[in-house]
Amino acid sequence: MPHLGETLAARRRSKQPSLLVYMMAGSVPEERFLSTVDALKTAGVTGLELGFPFSDPMAEGPVIQQAATDALRQGFHWPDLLRLLRASSQRLPCAVMTYLNPVLQRGEARALEELHEAGGSALILPDLPVEAARPFRALRRKEKVDTVLLASPATTPDRLALLVRRTEGFLYLVSRYGTTGAGEGTTPSTQGKEGELGPLVARAHELRPDLPVLVGFGVRSREDVERHRSSGADGVIVGSAVQTRLSTGRSPEEIGSFVASLLG
Amino acid sequence: MPEWYGSFGGAYVPETLVPALKALEEAWRTARRDPGFKAELARLSREWGGRPTPLYFAENLTREIGGAQIYLKREDLVHGGAHKFNNALGQGLLAKRLGKTRLIAETGAGQHGVATAMVGAKLALRTEVYMGSVDMERQKPNVLRMRLLGATVRPVDHGAKTLKEAINEAFRDWITNVQTTYYLIGSAVGPHPFPSIVSDFQSVIGKEILRQSKQAWGGHPDLVVACVGGGSNAIGTFQPMLRTPVKLLGVEAGGSGSGLAVGSASLTKGRPGVLQGMRTYLLQDAEGQVLETESIAAGLDYAGVGPEHAFLKESGRVEYTSVTDREALDAFHRLCRTEGIIPALEPSHALAEAMRRARDLPKTARIVVTLSGRGDKDLEVVAQHAPPG
Repeated sequence: MPHLGETLAARRRSKQPSLLVYMMAGSVPEERFLSTVDALKTAGVTGLELGFPFSDPMAEGPVIQQAATDALRQGFHWPDLLRLLRASSQRLPCAVMTYLNPVLQRGEARALEELHEAGGSALILPDLPVEAARPFRALRRKEKVDTVLLASPATTPDRLALLVRRTEGFLYLVSRYGTTGAGEGTTPSTQGKEGELGPLVARAHELRPDLPVLVGFGVRSREDVERHRSSGADGVIVGSAVQTRLSTGRSPEEIGSFVASLLG
Repeated sequence: MPEWYGSFGGAYVPETLVPALKALEEAWRTARRDPGFKAELARLSREWGGRPTPLYFAENLTREIGGAQIYLKREDLVHGGAHKFNNALGQGLLAKRLGKTRLIAETGAGQHGVATAMVGAKLALRTEVYMGSVDMERQKPNVLRMRLLGATVRPVDHGAKTLKEAINEAFRDWITNVQTTYYLIGSAVGPHPFPSIVSDFQSVIGKEILRQSKQAWGGHPDLVVACVGGGSNAIGTFQPMLRTPVKLLGVEAGGSGSGLAVGSASLTKGRPGVLQGMRTYLLQDAEGQVLETESIAAGLDYAGVGPEHAFLKESGRVEYTSVTDREALDAFHRLCRTEGIIPALEPSHALAEAMRRARDLPKTARIVVTLSGRGDKDLEVVAQHAPPG
């Protein structure tokens, strides 16, 4: 499979919108996970983010939290992730999304080397600030695994410039003040408020014209996808909306047609 | 204001929180130099909070142990019944300064929740407190107190349903509502600048101990002991003494003490990692998943510890050890009977270790134990365990 970052950049050049899907590795049996990946590929998904569970996922809403708990309870470990990544990356370009501590405990160099060998092309760590990303960036040349940085509606113009300069592969733009899946909850920690993304996307493209900007968090409908596209983003990332279907036993075909409906 | 304590600390947070942490650092930088802020903090600490708290010679306990003299720094007498007041008031005033209209907090034993609820009432800030449902069950009186004070208590039902999960949920709320909300964190933990802000507000404990020991016997204590969960009463006690010859001892919760159980002793049984915004010692498995902890004291039941303690352990300036649930309970009962003071289960850990050390020290030596809170909240837990024969 081609490298995720290169795929996204090529699609940006040819003005084709991208769509990444996030699913928690280990939250469902391997066979069903891979059948779903096949269905996503058929539906026209650009790439995949495999979540690796962490015990304390600070940026996640209830759906991804529960999926992480399920995966850990099943005894899902790092070698299982590598196996699933190896199989998934033969179907679609893949990134891995987790938190900093599991990667630190594995050792940054060893973790990136293993991800690269298993066909992964990017690592996304929502609790890795740009100030601490240097060791990962230093390994990029050897392992070709991008360390993707996140920006948010709260990000100031100066800081956005720094993030745009340092991110690799693409810029992950968080759509809202809130956790993943934000916008549907009824409690103060799950609601979330949409930020204004247009100026952030424009500024990112102005600073680095080749850099794909993808919007994630709370993307669940065709309207969301179109709104983000009209803000100038190169694509979207859908996580909780797919994971909730995966976790509640929807078939690969159903999930595939849901995602196809987002693409229109 | 240090962001790093050696290789510990930092600010490992989602990008949405970065501007809020920078604004907080700036607000604290100007507030700590502002005579008006300092005067307001001092006035409310004195008139509303009951500071300074006494340094009390536990004469009967000393006689019974038959070694060094044991003194208690009476943080149990602060308004609300614990040292948590010192930090909640200080940060509440900072929240006002930042123009925030809503306070959120996490709480384990409920003492920080109560302190935040008091401050919210006093400063007219809407207050919501996240608390693990296991802790709500074992610290019921504090849940009732928070509600009486006008706060909303939000149960947290994932994981071990204790302090760590409450902190996660408070962070999620903050990510969502950061424009209007101040996260009033209750211990010297989390991303920079929280550990140093909390340490600053709590350092009133150590400053008073030094002043009072000078008045009482014209010198320093020989040994100062405090319990460590997240570590706020301990860092507040130790901070002003780091450059003195005083021997410093932090006591973690060893839990049931059976077999392979790690209790909540992250410094004595953990290794470095990143959790909840900071690099520090953690109780974790080989793959970096954070372990569930256990302690009879809800306020110590936490898998991490403040980053400054991690540094002080590595530098060797502070010694850290742990005591079991049973030892803490024995110390609890002994203080009740000898001094007529019902301590919280958290400082009962410090007391247990202080009693052990006192036996091996001469009668001329002086030990100060920070009695970080009172034990009314723990009566039900204590009643479930048999008193010593």
